[in-house]
Amino acid sequence: MAQTGNNYIRVCNVEKYYGNESNVTKAVDNVSFHVDKGEFIGVMGASGSGKTTLLNMMATIDRVTAGHIYYENTDITELSENALSEFRRKNLGFVFQDYNLLDTLTIEENIILAQTLQGGRKKEINERCSSILRLLGIEDIREKFPYQVSGGQKQRCACARALVSNPKLLLADEPTGALDSKAAQTLLETFTRLNRELGATILMVTHDAFSASYCKRILFLKDGKIFHELIRGEKKRNIFLQEILDVLSLTGGEMSDVC
Amino acid sequence: MFAKLAFRNMKRSAKDYLVYILTMTIITALIYAFGSLIFQNELEDLFDLEPVMNAMLILATVFIVIIVAWLINYMVRFMLEKRSSEFGIYLLLGMKKKTVSRLYIRENLLLGSFSFCCGIILGILLQQVLVSVMYSMVRLEYHLHIMFHYKTFLMTALCYFGCYLLALIRCRHKFRKMNIHALMEARRRNEKIIEKHEKGKRILLPLSMIFILLFWSVFGRLGDTMEVIIFLVGLVLTIYLFYTGMSAWIICYIRQKGNAVYKGQNLFLLRQFASKIKTMQFTMGTLTSLFALALLGASIAFMFSEYENTILEEKFPFDVLVYSADTDDDFSEEKAVINAETASAEYYPYHIYTDKNNQVNTWLLTHLEAWGTMYRTADGKPDMAEIEEMLLNEGCYYPYDTYMGLSDYNHLRQMLGYGKKEITSGEYFLQIKPRLYNEVTDAPEDLQIADASGNTFLSCAGIIPDYFSQDGHNGADYVVVVPDEVLERMSPYYSELAVDLKGARPVNLQNKLMELAPENDDMELDMDYINNPDLCCGSDAIITFGSVYLARESLIPEVKYMLGSIIIPMFYIGLVFVCVAVTVLSVQQLSDSAKYRFRYDVLAKLGLERNQIRCMILKQLAAYYLCPALFAMVISGKMILYVSKQFVTATGVPAFAGTFFLKSIALFFGIYLVYFIVTYVGFKRNVEEKRR
Repeated sequence: MAQTGNNYIRVCNVEKYYGNESNVTKAVDNVSFHVDKGEFIGVMGASGSGKTTLLNMMATIDRVTAGHIYYENTDITELSENALSEFRRKNLGFVFQDYNLLDTLTIEENIILAQTLQGGRKKEINERCSSILRLLGIEDIREKFPYQVSGGQKQRCACARALVSNPKLLLADEPTGALDSKAAQTLLETFTRLNRELGATILMVTHDAFSASYCKRILFLKDGKIFHELIRGEKKRNIFLQEILDVLSLTGGEMSDVC
Repeated sequence: MFAKLAFRNMKRSAKDYLVYILTMTIITALIYAFGSLIFQNELEDLFDLEPVMNAMLILATVFIVIIVAWLINYMVRFMLEKRSSEFGIYLLLGMKKKTVSRLYIRENLLLGSFSFCCGIILGILLQQVLVSVMYSMVRLEYHLHIMFHYKTFLMTALCYFGCYLLALIRCRHKFRKMNIHALMEARRRNEKIIEKHEKGKRILLPLSMIFILLFWSVFGRLGDTMEVIIFLVGLVLTIYLFYTGMSAWIICYIRQKGNAVYKGQNLFLLRQFASKIKTMQFTMGTLTSLFALALLGASIAFMFSEYENTILEEKFPFDVLVYSADTDDDFSEEKAVINAETASAEYYPYHIYTDKNNQVNTWLLTHLEAWGTMYRTADGKPDMAEIEEMLLNEGCYYPYDTYMGLSDYNHLRQMLGYGKKEITSGEYFLQIKPRLYNEVTDAPEDLQIADASGNTFLSCAGIIPDYFSQDGHNGADYVVVVPDEVLERMSPYYSELAVDLKGARPVNLQNKLMELAPENDDMELDMDYINNPDLCCGSDAIITFGSVYLARESLIPEVKYMLGSIIIPMFYIGLVFVCVAVTVLSVQQLSDSAKYRFRYDVLAKLGLERNQIRCMILKQLAAYYLCPALFAMVISGKMILYVSKQFVTATGVPAFAGTFFLKSIALFFGIYLVYFIVTYVGFKRNVEEKRR
């Protein structure tokens, strides 16, 4: 892969094996790439290609079998479990397909909790919470519980929670997977806006070409290896989408649910 | 096929609801062990008593069966709710509703039968332990012999499966009314948090607290039945509404963004706690009531147990003591019976005298805690009209003061192994029950007891608080000991015979002496003769034993057995109630741990360390476990302390009134702690399982 930019995050020769001695499955096989600060990068691949495993290792919720992952100068593969928790708390934000919101807390409280876990003053927490709610257009549902709002609103709340503490990297695992097309589009536009206006660094795992077309760069994974890379550059989104579909057609139509 | 499916499901349920199965096993064992005392109680025949213990045990069993029925019903419905989506899938696959309902019933019966069989085996062992404890309590030897009581078995099976069938019939009815969609949705229904009118409901918390304070302040003064009923209804309402108020208060606090919300994990913990007690308010109220009743029952058991271990041993200091209203009685009949039953005995007949005055009675009636201000006028002086009426009608004190000569007194002291006492011709002693000593430590100065010459008054040389059989024999509560020559101015009041037995003391002597009583019209012993109404027992209350015959070796085991009739059922109720309550708490938490696993997983993703998560689990469980227990302690505390104080005052047990409450708390928190640790370990394992 091309080694350009500021190398904000570096993934170096990462491998992940599952199973035992007699039956080893290589989920991620010697993968290396980098993410620049302020980049919106996508990772695409069919089911079982290793994209979620890769994300989990970058998210510090799974350990590498071999290789290193650097966030600036910190090698997270060398950190202890408690140090990883602290690192996660301070540097990473998560958005998952199933939202992962706490059902006993209101939308606003879900966002407040993410901050209180890091410590902070009441006034600052409230101010940050209000501004992120406003930014994501979910201010009017702040007092509602997750079960009372739509999937799109839940996912925007998850985004707000992930972004409220200014993480180094926002990790999104199939964020549009459970959304209808309208809500998915709104969320992806939100990601783009967050990336453009706030300079948020986003890594999104998806198997959906439409979602991936919002990214600046896409890595294609197959059998645990990166087999292609697409850079959007100044291209229009629909042209970029066509390019993605062309690459996917090379995989033999395994990702057939592209729009 | 279905039998196999039912068996497999039962095995899975057994793993998920291990705490419930353990509790049902323990309860079955307890019902069997205590129930065996109803049907095969050899001690009852031995003491030839009215079946007091039977009645108490049957009553306790009724209460226990009601609570066990509630537990089974709760658990059967709970499991149905948890597995409703699974049943929905069975229906979706084409199974008939009847088949699914039968499958569930079969599973539950299998589960119930498994606990029942384990419980019966444990019960047979427990029954032997219980009987040997009872035998050693009444000083009899018991040789362990494992045996199966078929009547007890039938009763236990009837109670147990009766409760199960009732619960399952209700469930079947529920099944019949449910459709696939309802079954699939049943589990999700409770997950919705509905917050309505929380600000209004918040008032219930201070209202409950005010009622509890009111309850605390007036509990001792509740007089008529109507007041008691009103307060009991108020108390039950308070118990249930307290949780509504508490959850509303926490929710409002979170909504108003109180400062504590912004500290660490408080927001999560407060929300968890509020939503749990909100959805469980009725259950929490019931658990609080169970804990309160269990604490009350155990405290009462501890009170009587304390009495049995301390006072009772000293209550009958003489080997035999006989009362006779006839001052010329030579006790020849009694002596003949004793001679026939024992090797040798020393007899000491004597008289209790009176000066036909009641100044000592009056002094005690106006100074003892037991009487309070009942016999004082508004200005604090003795209310003589009330006192005279009391002395004539109540049968507590003899109508006239009771006296004893110094030589008789010293002889009796010598029989008991006490040291001799000396007084001059111008002095007297007041011999009182030990329990009254703290109330009358100052010697009475205004008593005017004339000396032998009748010209001057005796002065008090002191108060002696020794055990001296003062429940009507050597006076009621007291006897005034005067120089022998003073008795010449008095008249004999009644006669007493004290006996010191040599060698072996027969345990059936009391019954033999009682046979001296004349027969009544029904050809039975005249109990009015034995419990002579002329015999006045003094101010002892709660436990009194007034009999013209007191044979120590017979009476102590008999009274112990009678006390056991209260102690055993009270512990029985307490143990079962606590086990039921903690089981509900544990099962609730453990079966919710799947839901919590997701929540804690989210928190881990938000950066919480493993230790922090463990600490949160501990805090969450502790709050959930402690809430009903602490509330029950607040409610029952006042009642128990009040009753304990009355008990200590009335019986004189040498204990601080709070001891019984503390002992009950220690006992139940022991059980509580075991369940808590089991739940914590299981919960932690369930939460961490996936993350590992």
